[in-house]
Amino acid sequence: MIARWNLKSSAKLSKLAPYALPLAIVFIVIMFSIAEPAFLKPENLIGIIHQMNLIGIMAVAMTFVIMTGGVDLSVGPVLAISGLTAFFAMDAGLGLPIAIAAALGVGILIGTINGTLVAIFGLPPIIVTLAMLSIVRGLALIWGGPEWHLIRDQDAFTFIGTGHIGGISFSIILLLVFAGAVMFVQKRTPIGLIVAGIGENERAAYLSGHRVRLTKIAIYGLSGMGAALAGIVQSSQVHTSAAVYGEFGTELDVIAAIVLGGTSLMGGNGSIGRTLIGVIFLGVINNGMNILNVTLDIQLITKGVIIVLAMALSELT
Amino acid sequence: MQRRPASIALLAFFLVTVGLFCLFAPNFATTSNFENLMSGFSFVAILAMGQSFPILLRGIDLSIGAMVALAGMVAFDLTMLFHVPGYLILPLVLIAATGAGAINGILIVYLRLQPFIATLATLAAYRGVVYAISGRLLIPKLATTPITDPWIVGIETYFDIGGALGISDYVHLPWFPLSFFLMIAIFITFQLLLLSTKLGRDIYTVGGNQEAARLAGINTRRITIFTYAISGFCAGVAALVLVARLTTSTEALGTGMELTAISAAVIGGVSLQGGIGSMFGPVIGAFLLGVVLIGLTLLGASQYVQQILTGAILLAAVCYDRYLVVQRQRRAAANVGANT
Repeated sequence: MIARWNLKSSAKLSKLAPYALPLAIVFIVIMFSIAEPAFLKPENLIGIIHQMNLIGIMAVAMTFVIMTGGVDLSVGPVLAISGLTAFFAMDAGLGLPIAIAAALGVGILIGTINGTLVAIFGLPPIIVTLAMLSIVRGLALIWGGPEWHLIRDQDAFTFIGTGHIGGISFSIILLLVFAGAVMFVQKRTPIGLIVAGIGENERAAYLSGHRVRLTKIAIYGLSGMGAALAGIVQSSQVHTSAAVYGEFGTELDVIAAIVLGGTSLMGGNGSIGRTLIGVIFLGVINNGMNILNVTLDIQLITKGVIIVLAMALSELT
Repeated sequence: MQRRPASIALLAFFLVTVGLFCLFAPNFATTSNFENLMSGFSFVAILAMGQSFPILLRGIDLSIGAMVALAGMVAFDLTMLFHVPGYLILPLVLIAATGAGAINGILIVYLRLQPFIATLATLAAYRGVVYAISGRLLIPKLATTPITDPWIVGIETYFDIGGALGISDYVHLPWFPLSFFLMIAIFITFQLLLLSTKLGRDIYTVGGNQEAARLAGINTRRITIFTYAISGFCAGVAALVLVARLTTSTEALGTGMELTAISAAVIGGVSLQGGIGSMFGPVIGAFLLGVVLIGLTLLGASQYVQQILTGAILLAAVCYDRYLVVQRQRRAAANVGANT
């Protein structure tokens, strides 16, 4: 039944597909503003972007991984351990640049280990990053303990998460600059094409002489770096770092944003711009449900249903 | 229907590990410790056997933790809110869990979702349903009231096998928990199903090569849904064991259990490439995890180290699985070379 329906309507649907998500966002925004006019207030709209800042950074960084048919489930603990790294570096009296470099370095290192296990040893990404999720969380808890670490008297560090430049918060600028840089890599360097090629047909990409393994290691490293950056921003926003940040479910939000943006898990298709739209979509839904006082249970169910619908649509078209 | 000789090696490795801990870990070689091991990891073995079915089909079920919570909450609500008698609750809980698993399969088959995306989505959704139906949140008083229904609490019974056989004067046997016998019963049923029924053979065939199986006239869709339903069923059984032990249920029940169950299955030699594995491996895998974790605790390792170790063991197991796959491919290539 479905297969037949799919054949007939696929041409029509695939033409509409690129506009489906923006249209859905507009539709949902209208629905929420009818239900609760406060939704459209500028403060709230800015609030949405703030809430999605961390997810946005991680989603931008993980898009390439998803494009190659992989996944990175370890972003939550990486976020936590990077925040701890920044805290301990500053606590030891090291300067801000060193602290940030160390935090990013930890993220890149963990991502690179993921990438090596996937690319060189040929292990399945889900299992590798699931194991890494457990390992990194354990390491973070041993290192930082279960308690919160207050970050004091670090004005420059606090600026990352809470400062403003020309009325726009620095963390938003950071997200946009980061997304712009990754977008540049995708559109203007061969790496974007190689990533798409690996997702499309890994064997073919290998036979065409592309450095498949190196590229894969690099994109998992990028995903780790994104999680580390998010960890720095979060620690800076809440003035604390803790081993329990990035709790189970963070990776779900990140993956949801990416697949909502239309990046296919079967590989090949995907763009950073559309990932950002996916992030906004998720942010609007989260925020709207909070404003309407929708309880946690319905929020979780809705999220699950939305992922299933989005994926089903993208697989059928 | 391939079984790998690795299961003998696995059993040997298991026994060596037990032996080492008996020698070096204080209080490891005691009857109460083996009682702990059996009551603490029988339900993990059940979950691992359930998880093996999707993995046999190259799938994965990330939602079992949420399904455990769902089944536990259904049991809680039925007995605390509706005062349904226990002999009805047990089948109802199993039906609910099996249904939740079947929904996973239906999403994968009919919406053509990747197994891990479908089960990641239902992980969130089922957890949401748990909060929605939670009788604890509805009536806070119930959260501190223990479940007393004899049918449910009765799952947490221990049997003095040594005493019953009259040999307790000569050897000191641990008391066996009922969950251990449940595990054995499920093991025998599933192993028979896999090895000596058409359904079992079909599962191996679909796992080995789905397209070939479909062309051979096997209803691959029904098989896929069946395997995810089995995974849900096992989550239901595990939930009953847990609820009986805690005499209550929580919204957070089963969090993170997918990691343990997948680890146990992969350690047990169920190949992520599909089509290879038996029920024997996951059971040994679960108890191997249990022995290592309990042994390390007795040696004074913190809970965090255990978390790291669970992940490391899982990584080692997939590395070994990968090694076997590569070896098989080399051998196949060598055979082709020899024939031409």
